[in-house]
Amino acid sequence: MDDWIKLPGCQHTAGTKCYFSLPDLDVYEELQLRIRTEKGNDTSSWSEVYSFIPFKKAQIGPPKVHLAAEDKAITIYISPPGTEDNVMWSLDEKAFTYRLVMWKNSSNIEERIETVHPGGKIYKLSPETTYCLKVRAELLMYSKIGIYSPVCCINTTVENKLPPPENLEISANNESYILKWDYAYVNVTFQVQWLHGFLKVISGTSLHKWEQIPNCEHIKITYCVFLRKLLPKGIYYLRVQASNGNSTSFWSQEKKLNTAIYTIIPPPVISMKPVNDSLRVYVNAPEVPLIYEISFWENNSNTERKIKEKTDFTIANLQPLTVYCVKARAHFVSESWNKSSIFSDIVCEKTKPGNSYKSWVIAGICIAAVFIVVIIYIMKNLLRCFNYVFFPSLKPPSNIDKYLSEQPLKNLLLLTTEEQIERCSIIENTNTNTIMKETNQIDEDHKRYNSQTSQDSGNYSNEDENTGSKASEELLQLETGSPETNS
Amino acid sequence: MTPKYIWLAHFVGLFMTCILSQDCNLLKVHLSTVTWQNLKILNEMSNSIPIECLREIQDFKLPKEIQPEKTSIKYIFYEMFTQAINIFSQNTSNSTWDKEQLVQFQNKLYEQIEYLQQCLNKENKEKEDMKEVKADEKEHSGAEVLWQSQLKLRRYFSRIYNFLKDKKYSRCAWEIVRVEIRRCFHYFETFTKS
Repeated sequence: MDDWIKLPGCQHTAGTKCYFSLPDLDVYEELQLRIRTEKGNDTSSWSEVYSFIPFKKAQIGPPKVHLAAEDKAITIYISPPGTEDNVMWSLDEKAFTYRLVMWKNSSNIEERIETVHPGGKIYKLSPETTYCLKVRAELLMYSKIGIYSPVCCINTTVENKLPPPENLEISANNESYILKWDYAYVNVTFQVQWLHGFLKVISGTSLHKWEQIPNCEHIKITYCVFLRKLLPKGIYYLRVQASNGNSTSFWSQEKKLNTAIYTIIPPPVISMKPVNDSLRVYVNAPEVPLIYEISFWENNSNTERKIKEKTDFTIANLQPLTVYCVKARAHFVSESWNKSSIFSDIVCEKTKPGNSYKSWVIAGICIAAVFIVVIIYIMKNLLRCFNYVFFPSLKPPSNIDKYLSEQPLKNLLLLTTEEQIERCSIIENTNTNTIMKETNQIDEDHKRYNSQTSQDSGNYSNEDENTGSKASEELLQLETGSPETNS
Repeated sequence: MTPKYIWLAHFVGLFMTCILSQDCNLLKVHLSTVTWQNLKILNEMSNSIPIECLREIQDFKLPKEIQPEKTSIKYIFYEMFTQAINIFSQNTSNSTWDKEQLVQFQNKLYEQIEYLQQCLNKENKEKEDMKEVKADEKEHSGAEVLWQSQLKLRRYFSRIYNFLKDKKYSRCAWEIVRVEIRRCFHYFETFTKS
């Protein structure tokens, strides 16, 4: 069973309407209600359950408005709808947008409809005039439009001696922002203030914390130059006031400064790679849809060609083995404004050699291969000759070989260490003893002679006889000669 | 070569959000970049949660059933950023955060809110122009789904608000909330990729 709770403020109501409030209610959760009638002790059955989400159903009430007037402007202080501890819009207090309808009290016809921030101002009014207005809060996100506040009227003051500065314009260069304004009178000094944009939203009706811009206090010139780093990336408001010692003017209209508008687009970084007869260009691009304007030319010519690309691309149909140079800049084009960067550094690259050259190279390689094969063949033959000349084989030529079929004769042709000796014997026998001794010696001589003349068998016998006879004569002389020598 | 590319990357980071904030067609890319920047600031504002705060951690029940589509993503992000800026504009005197960083964070959030508001206004204008054309059923159910998602998101942020109020904006409470917001941004950032 569901835990139904009695709704306070709607018990025993007389009419068909009751008001209730549930302080701890979660307005984003579904709420279920059921009703029954009672008459005395009788009660009807419960009605159908009515379920709804309070936040979805809720209507925005009127905001509270408080005005302050200048000579030509009115400041509007707005408190969000609901009480301070209100539950319904606790998360929306700063999300409300306020719409204002304003008219001159004298003529109801003239109406101005504007969106206004709490603490905002309405400008360009006439002094000493009564203006009336009403404000309503809106939550556009949820398509909720609130009820108008009650009408509020105020008189603008007498015209001030010093008017506020007008026509505030902002420009920027690399290091600084420049705020310029117009002023009709001379001999006045100005001061410039700035404010964080978000403070307009979150601080509600409390006074905004405007800050001075250094170097722009009590200046006599109608422009203020300040460094960009003073106001880092964000949304700001600037205002200027004039004073001449005695009196000060009201603050000028606030000028919104969105630093995003003044950002500098960095030049793209490009690199190139030659591919066949074209150049592939790589652009180092962020994820932003920029359009790149590319200029390219041949290194030594003056004619430039321009193309527009979005990402990496290829420049085709170029001359082979030529140096081409490229520079690029980025463009950002949107609905509201467009910006360009400066040109990037120039990058040059040489294209690859063409196809005809390539075919010559291939032909050259083929020829070289053939040439190498021929060289190898020649070298092989040369090596064979060389071996033949310096390292011949020891086989005799084939025609001589025929005659040297017998083995011993073959051996004769070979040098041997062993000496062949023939023994010889003496035929004449006169002095056998001495001769015998001598013959031994002679034998040895013969042996020696034999050794010397072993190869020549023809001359052998003659020499033998001579030596033999010579030896015998010597022997005879020895035996007969000795008596003669005694005298 | 490398230092050159570091310079470029740094510049690109700064420059991208600036340029993208002008064009509603590039919404997704913009939201993705911007959310990462916000996460970075949230990280830098403080070191991790102090140990003594760990026992106060609460489950805020981030509504992960919300799966924003292309058409509804700007509503979700608008809601998220608006609530974040509201939360962080409350009394942060007890936190130990660098005031400059807090201001920078609020500044960034405000920039996104302005941008999304401009895109939403544009869309509303287009819708008003087409009011004669009957909305087909698909669109109607889409609107209902969006409502449901927005409500869930609301409840989630309501829980965070109440937590801060109950803990009287103590230092621990702020640290826990900072981490929770970081979780929230991180979760919804994934939907900018699809």
